[in-house]
Amino acid sequence: MPQVSAGSTANRVSRRVALGALGAGALAWAAWPRPSRDRARAPRGRKVLHYWEKWTGVEAVSLQHVIDEFNHSQQRLWVVLVPVSDISSKAMVAIGGGDPPDVCGLFSYSVPLYAEAGAAMPLDEFPRHDWCGQDGYLPNVWKLLTHEGRPWAGVNTCYTLGLYVNRAHAREAGLPESPPRTIAQLDAAADALTRTVARGRIERAGFLPTLPLWWPYSWGVLFDGRLYDRQTGRATADDPGNIRALEWISTFPRRFGREAAGAFAHTFSRSTHSPQDPFISGRASMIVQGPWLANFIARHNPGLDYAVAPVPIADGLPDPDAPRGLVEADVLIIPRGCKDPEASWEFLRFMQRVSTQEQLAIAHCKSSPMGGGETSPKFLANHPSRFVGVFDSVARSPMADSLPPTRIWPQYADMLGGAFEAAWRGDDAAAALRDVQTRAQRLIDESVKMRARRAARGGIP
Amino acid sequence: MSGRPDHHARTARSAGPPVAGSAAAFLWLAPWLTGFAVFLLAPAAMSAYYAMTDYSLLEPPVWIGAANFAELWHDPLFWKACRNTVYYATVSVTLGAVLSLCVAVLLEMHVRGRGIARAIIFLPTLVPLVAAALAWSLMYNPEAGLMNRALATIGLPKINWLGEARWAMPALIIMGLWNIGTAVVIYSAALRDVPRALYEAAEIDGVSRLGRLWHVSIPCISPAILFNVMISIIWSLQVFGAPQIMTEGGPDHATYVYQLSVYEHAFRYGRMGYASAMAWLQLLATLGIAALTLALSRRFVHHRGAA
Repeated sequence: MPQVSAGSTANRVSRRVALGALGAGALAWAAWPRPSRDRARAPRGRKVLHYWEKWTGVEAVSLQHVIDEFNHSQQRLWVVLVPVSDISSKAMVAIGGGDPPDVCGLFSYSVPLYAEAGAAMPLDEFPRHDWCGQDGYLPNVWKLLTHEGRPWAGVNTCYTLGLYVNRAHAREAGLPESPPRTIAQLDAAADALTRTVARGRIERAGFLPTLPLWWPYSWGVLFDGRLYDRQTGRATADDPGNIRALEWISTFPRRFGREAAGAFAHTFSRSTHSPQDPFISGRASMIVQGPWLANFIARHNPGLDYAVAPVPIADGLPDPDAPRGLVEADVLIIPRGCKDPEASWEFLRFMQRVSTQEQLAIAHCKSSPMGGGETSPKFLANHPSRFVGVFDSVARSPMADSLPPTRIWPQYADMLGGAFEAAWRGDDAAAALRDVQTRAQRLIDESVKMRARRAARGGIP
Repeated sequence: MSGRPDHHARTARSAGPPVAGSAAAFLWLAPWLTGFAVFLLAPAAMSAYYAMTDYSLLEPPVWIGAANFAELWHDPLFWKACRNTVYYATVSVTLGAVLSLCVAVLLEMHVRGRGIARAIIFLPTLVPLVAAALAWSLMYNPEAGLMNRALATIGLPKINWLGEARWAMPALIIMGLWNIGTAVVIYSAALRDVPRALYEAAEIDGVSRLGRLWHVSIPCISPAILFNVMISIIWSLQVFGAPQIMTEGGPDHATYVYQLSVYEHAFRYGRMGYASAMAWLQLLATLGIAALTLALSRRFVHHRGAA
């Protein structure tokens, strides 16, 4: 039998040792510090900033163009766009967990929470440099960027809603050329344009407020209702205007059939902005939507003959020519705890230039959030939508309102959505809104109390 | 002597003091124990603390004692979510158990193509939930969906499956029943394990086919039934994905289930403390229901070979 010499045995490596060494090597390789892919792609010597944004598709492409411009405009910073879905919750976890991005794109309703929690840095803490400040923004937009008198965010496009009218349908029904301006005219047009077939099934909707059900809280403002009293900091869900709005909403299921109207709206729940979109495909003659719909019409049905007007307001309001509506915006914040706030501020200032915001607004088919004076004729001339002036006039209107500046807004908005559904199914609108008022005010009071307790413990006052 | 321990040495080591054995066991279990402690035990303990606080993730928690639980008691949506979840769990677990058992029994019959049938029934469990939910949303479309076309062919009226409060939850339950493949596989395996002699004895005694199923098969596979029911109860009490993708809790909160409410409070409303209180109540309720099911199982479950 062959003998194994002592020397060769000592040199032999057991399988366990070999596997252990391999595993240790793999662990070391995984744990070895190395530049991230973004870092590796950035030009040498640049500081990399991570910018989280919710946009995808065409909107993200245009944003990337703007970022490329910034990256090529200087030699110190390199911004990397990180598309993030469900950004509100992920930003909350990242910032709360102490690993925030350098710049974060949120919705304007997040500003009060982030401001009160100290999770965003107030912009007036930074040297102003070339930042336009309050004078550079539309007043309604500035309201969205500030909380309790201090600016906490920059804007990243804004929007209001408008009434889109299919002119071919209107002509065919013998309606006037100009779109409806009052609720009564809207109702009359809706009745004239709606087509039903057997068993009351709706073949074509004149107008349905559930198409789409994205802004169930937005109707009150058309009836002079307010959702929040900025002076007292109280919710005003049961404002008479809001009650009248929901009472008006409750007429639709009565006029067109609750089940028929519900089935019609639900048919399009997954086809908004696609070729099967109810307005783009001609299944709805009038629809309330944002300015971006023009982009999708141009893509899917360029021959559609339509007009856009401010959303009609209740009869008898003081000035039917003063457009009303809610102004909303996407915002940019510098999260507390980001690695280089000064660098983030430099990029945020670049994003607040009139030219940058107009470039994004044109790509997203929105009106511009900037400009204390008149909208520049150049911007209007270059805009892909010939109706951008309608949205611009609402955003500039002193009668327009913005979202309530309270941290409980997401929950308040959902409660208002519940009241909308209650009115739709025929419940008492006033009772539903009184219930919302009680619950929302309780939450506001609770948040004020907690804020005071945190301040007493040395937190943010 | 070579570096490798010989057989005697190994035997001697395994017969060594139990403390040394325990240390080795803990060493080998360490990765799992570490993961359990870091990713489950510590977050659960923290969540128990957060349940007693006002906490938004962005601010330090403030101790408020049982205030979150008191608020839950008065929150109408909390009770709505509880009712919806119980409704979903009761109907989906019952129907799921009956349907999967029936399918498994049918598949155990000697018919052609049962292999293919088994594969087809199991296939949906491989489909990612998001894809399945989107596909079912299209099938439930009031105008163009397959479900309403099927109803129309037999002369029944169309249904607004996901848009009507009374139909939305049944629609989600039907979709859930599509996913019985795993239960069917478990029942099939259990059915094959039933001793043939019992069937033969029952046949000699003149027991009908249905009688054999009721008096032989079901008692023999009752441990498998218990397992499936228990797992289904736990999963259905945590249902989240389908309602989130297909209905977002609507219409009119008809599909607003418990887990959806926990998620919304934690990540949409920034109320992690309140969400933690909800999560703890859910855990306790699930443990209670599981314990009750196990207690009942002592009466109904037949363990072969058990004393």
